[in-house]
Amino acid sequence: MVTSILEAGQRLERSEDETLPRRAGLNRLPALVLFIVGVAAMIGAWNLSVGSLQHPQPGLWPFVVSFVIALTGGILTLFPEQIPLEAWNRRSLGVIGGIVSLGVFIILFETIGFIIPAILMLVLWLKVFGGERWIPTIILSIVGSATSYLLFAELLGVPFPQDIVLNALSWIGI
Amino acid sequence: MDTLDSLTLGFSVAFEPTNLLFVLIGVVIGTAIGVLPGLGPTATIALLLPITYTMDATTSIIMLAGIYYGSMYGGTITSVLLRLPGEAASVVTAIDGYQMTKQGRAGTALGIAAIGSFIGGTVSIIGLTFLAPMLANVALAMGPAAYVALMVLGLFLVTSIGTGSTIKSLCMAGLGLALSTVGQDPIDGSSRFTFGSVGLLSGFDFVAVAMGLFGVGELLHSLEKSEHGQAIKVKIKNIWPSRKDMKESSGAIARGSVLGFFIGVLPGGGGVISSLASYAMEKKRAKDPSRFGKGAIEGVAGPETANNASSTSAFIPLLVLGIPSNVVLALIFGALLMHGMTPGPQLIAEQPNLFWGIIASMYIGNLMLLVLNIPLVGVFVQMLRVRTGILIAFALLIVMIGVFSINNSPFDMWVVLGFGVLGWLMNKTGFDPGPLVLAFVLGPILEKSFRQSMLISGGSLEIFVTDPAAALIFGAIALGILYKVLGTRLKRRKKTAPVIPAESVDIDS
Repeated sequence: MVTSILEAGQRLERSEDETLPRRAGLNRLPALVLFIVGVAAMIGAWNLSVGSLQHPQPGLWPFVVSFVIALTGGILTLFPEQIPLEAWNRRSLGVIGGIVSLGVFIILFETIGFIIPAILMLVLWLKVFGGERWIPTIILSIVGSATSYLLFAELLGVPFPQDIVLNALSWIGI
Repeated sequence: MDTLDSLTLGFSVAFEPTNLLFVLIGVVIGTAIGVLPGLGPTATIALLLPITYTMDATTSIIMLAGIYYGSMYGGTITSVLLRLPGEAASVVTAIDGYQMTKQGRAGTALGIAAIGSFIGGTVSIIGLTFLAPMLANVALAMGPAAYVALMVLGLFLVTSIGTGSTIKSLCMAGLGLALSTVGQDPIDGSSRFTFGSVGLLSGFDFVAVAMGLFGVGELLHSLEKSEHGQAIKVKIKNIWPSRKDMKESSGAIARGSVLGFFIGVLPGGGGVISSLASYAMEKKRAKDPSRFGKGAIEGVAGPETANNASSTSAFIPLLVLGIPSNVVLALIFGALLMHGMTPGPQLIAEQPNLFWGIIASMYIGNLMLLVLNIPLVGVFVQMLRVRTGILIAFALLIVMIGVFSINNSPFDMWVVLGFGVLGWLMNKTGFDPGPLVLAFVLGPILEKSFRQSMLISGGSLEIFVTDPAAALIFGAIALGILYKVLGTRLKRRKKTAPVIPAESVDIDS
């Protein structure tokens, strides 16, 4: 099924005689990774003990499904499909930046609580990735973080980790 | 209890104020995200899953279902006005709908789409009301072997009818099944593939996987696109179609309702395929097919009716057999599991309030959508002004909080991020996350049924041939594979013939 609208849109645009970029190498890499994952999982499942069909042990089912991964991954490695893929470009680097920022958010969230990481993340995503101007960025990040804190921690009772901002506020007596 | 009594019970559930409110919330959110490009029903439902934890089971499914069929209405709006389908099932509407807009008939296109959707949806709910209990009785007689066959059929149809490559989809289905084995063995409790991690002992949380693949994956992917909010300059007038328009499209609506209903019932069916099939059918039947692509009203009415009909009837296999027929329904399946309910033939008897409440809410939801869409279409159009950047930033923040709130564990946040990266990479490399999630949901049940069948048969695979229901279903799968192989051959031969661009939207490519 078509999962993204963009893909669907491309399908509309794409005509049959479009020349396909022949970069089989890039097509092969993910398939090879899947093949290796499949084989590794087969070994792992075998070590869990497979048993017999009559007395299946924990490893039997994982072994069967890992075999499917290894088989299909292997076929795709040997005979990669010539489907035009999205090119990697400079914006892809931006996505990697986005992934790192989410990782940093999780680490900070665990150590210093919700509010500061939330503000930082919103500033980054609104300003750098969203291209908003400074004033709306700052207003949206502060108001957005505070609202989400009130909504989730106070109203819905989600137990966020200790928050240094709130600790500091209560320490100075607010 | 006969069907009408049950339906009365359903309406008494659906008319409870909370449920009424959440039908409304569901269809409004559905229409809204149908309009907003970049956030489809799958991503939205994935993002909202943690919230449904705190809600009553019936209420939460009523809302999620409303989002699903509501998005079918909403997706039409941008397809028609901007040639920018808000969700995949409306892609084909963009062809003739946008032409109608260019001819100054945007209002009529939207009006006929809303009316068609309403009729298609309602016909489908009536079908669901009467067919589901009968099917459940049949299904109750099935043994575990037939269940294995049915689930394999579901996975097979999703991997082969879907638009991506079959082998890639099969590989993803395998990966989904493998990922679902992580954690404790369902029978003897020994740990599998946990690598000594305590977090992994209970397996990957379904919500985290779904939110990662569809929510975070899509959001990361949209970073690479430069989409800007667009204001609509077209004036929308004449929303009520004229008598001539109605006459022209009545056949398309009738055919679309029936076609959509049956495609939706098939595992692997659902909005996208039914709208494509309806478009192809209308074009084939038309006296003058050359009008298609130039603003033919049937090209809007048929597909829009069909996608709504199928998104409703797709609830039959889910609620009656426990087989989600597409990704959105896999998410709803997951939501039911979270509430401790396993959809299947016993659901109607054991949870009549839930089952009939959901069905009755669909009658109400469709009526609400008709009322919302015809006069309020202008309001929804304004939503296109929301800038994508702001939407993405807040959606990500809510994903992170939402996933943390499931188990109050930062481990799930890492899972969501990991699957988000995987979802993005899959998007880039042409792998479809749909089969993965579907297989991940079905995995534990499939394994259990498989092991039960093996116990019954004493370890002989013959049970899948000697059990009549299983044999029938596996026979159908074999035929399907044969057809697929032959079909590909035929298509290759045909490729030398010139192709009209509009036909490149192929049903089984």
